[in-house]
Amino acid sequence: MNAAAERRLLEPWQDPKAAPFVRIERLTKQFGDLYAVDDLSLDIFQGEFFSLLGSSGCGKSTLLRMLAGLEYPTSGRLYIDGVDVTEVPPYARPVNMMFQSYALFPHMTVEQNVEFGLRQERMPRAERAERVSEMLELLRIAPLRKRKPDQLSGGQRQRVALARSLAKHPKLLLLDEPLGALDKRLRENTQFELVNLQERLGITFVTVTHDQEEAMTMSTRIAIMDAGQIMQVDTPTAIYEFPSCRFVAEFIGSVNLFEGKVVESSGDEVLVESRIGRSMRVRAFHPYALGTPVTVAVRPEKVRLCLDYREDGVNQLRGVVEDIAYLGDVSIYRIRIDAALPRVQMTLTNIQPRTEQALTWDQEVAIEWSPNSAMALSE
Amino acid sequence: MSGRHPGRSRWPLWTLLAFGYAFLYVPILLLILYSFNESRLVTVWSGFSLKWYGELLHNRQLLDAAWLSVRIAAVNATVAVVLGTLAANALVRHGRFRGRTGFELLLTAPLVMPDVLIGLSMLLLFVAMQQGFGWPAGRGFTTIAIAHITFSTAYVAVVVRSRLAQMDASLEEAAMDLGARPLSVYAQITLPLIAPALLSGWLLAFTLSLDDLVIASFVSGPGSTTLPMVVYSSVRMGVSPQINALATLIVALVAFAVVIAGLSMRQSQRSS
Repeated sequence: MNAAAERRLLEPWQDPKAAPFVRIERLTKQFGDLYAVDDLSLDIFQGEFFSLLGSSGCGKSTLLRMLAGLEYPTSGRLYIDGVDVTEVPPYARPVNMMFQSYALFPHMTVEQNVEFGLRQERMPRAERAERVSEMLELLRIAPLRKRKPDQLSGGQRQRVALARSLAKHPKLLLLDEPLGALDKRLRENTQFELVNLQERLGITFVTVTHDQEEAMTMSTRIAIMDAGQIMQVDTPTAIYEFPSCRFVAEFIGSVNLFEGKVVESSGDEVLVESRIGRSMRVRAFHPYALGTPVTVAVRPEKVRLCLDYREDGVNQLRGVVEDIAYLGDVSIYRIRIDAALPRVQMTLTNIQPRTEQALTWDQEVAIEWSPNSAMALSE
Repeated sequence: MSGRHPGRSRWPLWTLLAFGYAFLYVPILLLILYSFNESRLVTVWSGFSLKWYGELLHNRQLLDAAWLSVRIAAVNATVAVVLGTLAANALVRHGRFRGRTGFELLLTAPLVMPDVLIGLSMLLLFVAMQQGFGWPAGRGFTTIAIAHITFSTAYVAVVVRSRLAQMDASLEEAAMDLGARPLSVYAQITLPLIAPALLSGWLLAFTLSLDDLVIASFVSGPGSTTLPMVVYSSVRMGVSPQINALATLIVALVAFAVVIAGLSMRQSQRSS
């Protein structure tokens, strides 16, 4: 395999030779005694659709505002496209932002809103008109060009805001909860549109969201944030399948957790003696010393019914069906193993019509999972 | 029908409303009515006439006073809008700067300060200044305008401040993000959006000045008699229906201004 072909197989963040497009270096932002962003370093590459995901107050919005220049860091440096922009004011950065509230200028028409940024850089009139039309066409809002923002629906406003922030052809587009104000149906359609737009324009997107489904669908990579720090940065698949710690595992999707101690460690697998007395053999990122306390994490859809339950079986549990949540495509079963323990969740696809399903309330069941679909996590 | 309580009559409410309106507007209606009276006596109706309006047009003293008052009011309103807007900006957009609480207190104090006190202190200040460095030389237009600006600024600041606080700060951030420098953001985004508040602040300051008797009496000098001062002194010698005619014209002017301000407010609310 030649070098070029090998290069193509590597995503930019896996390639040690790739230069990051946005480089965040030990950035800290303090508001009084509160560290909104705490000694955070992160590289984002050209053409990425990067999501900052976290619950409210985790510092993701502050980080985005620092990229835009609307907040200045207390310490640390910030580079965009190789240029140190730490002290550059927002109006001089090659960056545009789409605000959560859209922040459309109420006294201007759609057209004037989109044109605003171009007028600031004194683009000639003819070129300006052309660019505005191009943007309005791109987002399919040309018929609305003479309307004022209060004459638009929520979805239309979102498009105008997007057109306005893309009009200057920024190197980096920041999106603060871009779909937060839309209803569910519209949100799902817009997700795909946003990704297509990003791929077509080749602009690097950095978005802030608290909606994990949105982040999973759209992003090339996700950074999970908590208390001003990054807990894990990875592709959506890796974040879901290989969470690096308990916080990330619990933050994304649902997960069953069993606390226990390592009794055997070999390569990337460990044998854990769980507190409920069952032994579990699961994957691990690295070898553990014997006796180390760990948490075994198993996703509900990785749990299946067990047909050959044995008293000394590994990765096997027995319990009683306590609750069934029927969601149409799947059902979630909550199984009581031990009264003192959180219920174990199992998701099964409803292949048969509901009326013909075997499992019912108060039924005794045995469940299991395979060693490579569960993870051992340290705190 | 929803909202109506069966068996409960609504006439007490209507009566209350009628009394309220009567209390507010009957005196003004009477004043307007008697401006069209034939008789010299203000309280005896003897037929319709416009003669007092005619006489008013030839009363130099009254007209001069009215013109002076309007000029002072206009200068006052304009300067107060500039100063009040700057103060409101500092309070709303500049976070918790050192001395903010003191600034806020001192800015709004004239709202509750008695007019007599403001008038007297202003007079003492002007006298001291004249003795100290000769400006302002004597009292008149300039001193009245300065005194009026002092308290009008506080009113304008209150009006503009509430409008600024309602305005979404991300609009200014968005403009800056799109490449506009701070001054340009202010001219293109902030000013157009707070314009209705500037207009109502201007009208408020104009009215306050036009109507002030107490402060003006303290700081005016010979040859600078404002309209309220003329009206007040002429009433002491017996009310002339000319005053009624003048009052009617002022009411008409004010009503016109209120309608214009209301329309512009509604226009801007529709667009924001």
